[in-house]
Amino acid sequence: MSNDILFLAEFNGSAARSALELATGAAQLAAKSGGSAVALAYGPGASDGAAALGAQGAARAIVLGDDDRPAIGFAPAAAAAVRDADALALLAPATPNGRDIAAALVGLLDLPAFGPVRAARVADGTIETEQATLQGSVITTSRPADGAPTPSVVLVLANTFTPAEGGSGSASVEQAPGADDSALAKATVAERHEAEAKVVNLEEATVIVAGGRGVGSEEGFGPLRELASALGGAVGASRAAADAGWIPYQLQIGQTGKVVKPSLYLGVGISGAIQHRVGMQTAEHVVAINKDPDAPIGEFADLFVVGDLFQVVPALTDEIKRRKGA
Amino acid sequence: MTYLPTADHDELRAMVRELAEERIAPRAAAIDEGGEFPWDLKDLLAQQDLLGTCFDERHGGTALDTIGQSIVAEEIARADATTSLIPIVQKLGALPIILAGSDEQKDRYFPRLASGEWLIAFGLTEAAAGSDVSANRMRAVRDGDAYVLNGSKRFITHGSVANVLTVFALTDPEAGGRRGMSAFIVEADTPGFAAPRVEHKMGIRGSPTAELTFDDVRVPVENRIGDEGEGFRIAMATLDRSRLGIAAQAVGIAQGALDAAVAYAGERQQFGQRVVDFQGIQWMLADMASQTEAARQLTYAAAARVDASVPDLPYWTSTAKLIAGDTAMRVTTDAVQILGGYGYITEYPVERMMRDAKITQLYEGTQQIQRLVVARQLLQRAGVGARPRERRETGA
Amino acid sequence: MKIVVCIKQVPATGADKRYTDDLRLDRAGVEAIINPLDEYAIEQALRLQDAGTVETVSYLSMGPEQASEALRRALAMGGDDATLISDPALAGADEWTTAKVLASALDKLAPDVALMGMASDDARGSLVPGAVAAMRNVPLLSYGAELTVGGGEARVRRLSATGFDWVAAPLPVVASVTDQVGEPRYASLKGIMAAKRKPLETWSLADVGLSADDLRGGALTTVTDARPPEAKPPTERVENLPAAEAAARIADWLAARKLI
Repeated sequence: MSNDILFLAEFNGSAARSALELATGAAQLAAKSGGSAVALAYGPGASDGAAALGAQGAARAIVLGDDDRPAIGFAPAAAAAVRDADALALLAPATPNGRDIAAALVGLLDLPAFGPVRAARVADGTIETEQATLQGSVITTSRPADGAPTPSVVLVLANTFTPAEGGSGSASVEQAPGADDSALAKATVAERHEAEAKVVNLEEATVIVAGGRGVGSEEGFGPLRELASALGGAVGASRAAADAGWIPYQLQIGQTGKVVKPSLYLGVGISGAIQHRVGMQTAEHVVAINKDPDAPIGEFADLFVVGDLFQVVPALTDEIKRRKGA
Repeated sequence: MTYLPTADHDELRAMVRELAEERIAPRAAAIDEGGEFPWDLKDLLAQQDLLGTCFDERHGGTALDTIGQSIVAEEIARADATTSLIPIVQKLGALPIILAGSDEQKDRYFPRLASGEWLIAFGLTEAAAGSDVSANRMRAVRDGDAYVLNGSKRFITHGSVANVLTVFALTDPEAGGRRGMSAFIVEADTPGFAAPRVEHKMGIRGSPTAELTFDDVRVPVENRIGDEGEGFRIAMATLDRSRLGIAAQAVGIAQGALDAAVAYAGERQQFGQRVVDFQGIQWMLADMASQTEAARQLTYAAAARVDASVPDLPYWTSTAKLIAGDTAMRVTTDAVQILGGYGYITEYPVERMMRDAKITQLYEGTQQIQRLVVARQLLQRAGVGARPRERRETGA
Repeated sequence: MKIVVCIKQVPATGADKRYTDDLRLDRAGVEAIINPLDEYAIEQALRLQDAGTVETVSYLSMGPEQASEALRRALAMGGDDATLISDPALAGADEWTTAKVLASALDKLAPDVALMGMASDDARGSLVPGAVAAMRNVPLLSYGAELTVGGGEARVRRLSATGFDWVAAPLPVVASVTDQVGEPRYASLKGIMAAKRKPLETWSLADVGLSADDLRGGALTTVTDARPPEAKPPTERVENLPAAEAAARIADWLAARKLI
């Protein structure tokens, strides 16, 4: 078994931010394990862009395919590459696409799986991970069982690793050795529907202003957008706001939406029910504004402001602009 | 005779409680403030098969035992007393037909009642005939193959939203209320029937309490329940059973108030500690809990006896309603007391629960009437016998 | 057309949850419910049955004896029959083990669609649907906001970065759905009563054609430590301030942490 650390690198024209983050993380782990970071690149632009993953520390990149098939369709080729590589670990983004490929690898190759993890390290020649379970009430440390096959599949949340800046390496690029014959390749996109407006990928935002039921309407999100803009961040929402049609579902944060890890999360008119909380509880700083002094979010926020969001949010926007000298 | 709630009863309670907490409780304040009948919750209860619990499976009902029916009423009342009247009155209105109706009448009406498509109400009380049922004045005159009803009723729960009503009227005024009254099934869309007024009330404000007028309302002979002259007996037999629904409602109201008081006292801090940590408050809560439990157990004991058709049925249902109604009033009043100023304002539910509780001491037989029933049964058991006048009549 | 919905019984949300001394999830004495995300899978299957597209809806669960309660609750919502896989060798199973057992059971039941919720509440696992599909060598249609079947194929409507796609695959498939499917129905009283009479079978590991050896020791991962999270400083509260002052306080707080 080599001590290489594999990672999934998704391309959608160019490298997804998760590819850059996992490259950085894989390189960090590889430095400890004595192996190399190896990308499994897939999606449009993979062949062209894979070499640049070297800037984040990838030594090699194996291209699984350049087309826009559903991500699960790359799993058979990923399995062939993983079997060839015989590595210590494989990092996958904890996104729907990443989980699909990770799950398929677990099933095709009988691999141990961890995560989503909040930390991963190499210890005693094996992978050790930390994850928050039971809605964040227990932190468990896990390892592969004795004699378990390798690599271990590790799901990684966005913003767990910060992409290295200013690197200059170049990964050597090769094509995948082939693909396992698997029915997983039979899923195809029958119809594509693009939304009118461009939607930000919340997982990449370092500042998020999220609105909930208290915002009351689509127009109500206006002040939140202005605040987000003043802070250089993005707007997110709870499921209630998405169900009500006030914002698109791509902006829903929570158990069934995006799981985000910004450095600042501002929850406005959001009660903080557990289904939302698991989507943002790893944010570095949590500020909440709510007119209900007993809202559950007040129990886990770092700063809880009881007040009318329609007064406090614009006032805050003004205050921030003033301090920035704008 | 003993009874034990079964696992099925527990499962039923859990199902109704979940529905009540998630869908009914959040609506309670708005229903009370707006004073409007909650049609959406009626539809919900119908969908969940909770309006057919007293009807046979062959009519589309679920034929729950009386304990089960009490549990349904209790768990809904814990969330909202107004909404709990929907299944309770569905049974009240149907009881005359259940007890004395023909199979043809049951086949004709019960399927739509069991499914909740139709609501039914019980039209007995008149402006001058409340506790004194025999003072009823409404007339029913035979005319060919129909009876013509003339008169009015007052304080009829759901009288303005029911599709059909069981109505009591004198077919033989000479014979007086006890022997000259008959029972009829009247469909609400019959010409001459109207519900011109609905009362503004202290509590159960979402439950329409209507005045009904009958102006030459023609009711086919096939809609008379039982024989002419049986009306009083049917009405009394109905109330002997339906008052248990009120007992269950009262238990539910008390439980809801108790739960609210415990939750509040567990959070509110004064004088450097939680209110619930004061022994005086704990004693109040203990009294509230014990009394509620006693009322509940008496209600279930009575329910078991209803199903066993014991001969002294009225003793059981009357004691249950008597105890439960008074308990609801006492517990809700204490709940307001425990919440203090916050208990008095509409932001918290206990003031509504206290206003709702009062009716359980008034309708389906006032507490004073219940005492008369209990006393009569008690004296009979003790062999002390009835009033001197009646003793003279029987020669004993 | 037959759908098998795989459900899991989990501790109730908000219930006191802990790990036992031997670092397994302590399920004793805790109120147990159907994994909330599985209710959406149940609802999706029942909607297809109500519409007449699907004839049979069955349920499958792997768990201790107590998990039969979750299956009865599912049957109370609708559907036809249920199977519980219960075996002492399955205590402490991880996602791989769960997938292996469900895959074997599903091969026996041979549905057109094996339907699951997108994740489970307790372990935050989400890999079971994909692993099952891979093990059974059938297509995976995951994270569907809606599932349709017909013409020999199944489709899911799946959120994309910029809108949504309909992803299709020929039957049989494994599919998972999200909470956008629609509110799960309550079990009606008649449903609860009928559920008691619907068939519920219990299978052991041998009944799905597996032995303890096939399970590679029961799990491929092992928990080596379980501890409470780091204590956070208590929440700072700002109350009863006019908006402008509250805003200034927030700005001060952000500035102190170099966030503005």
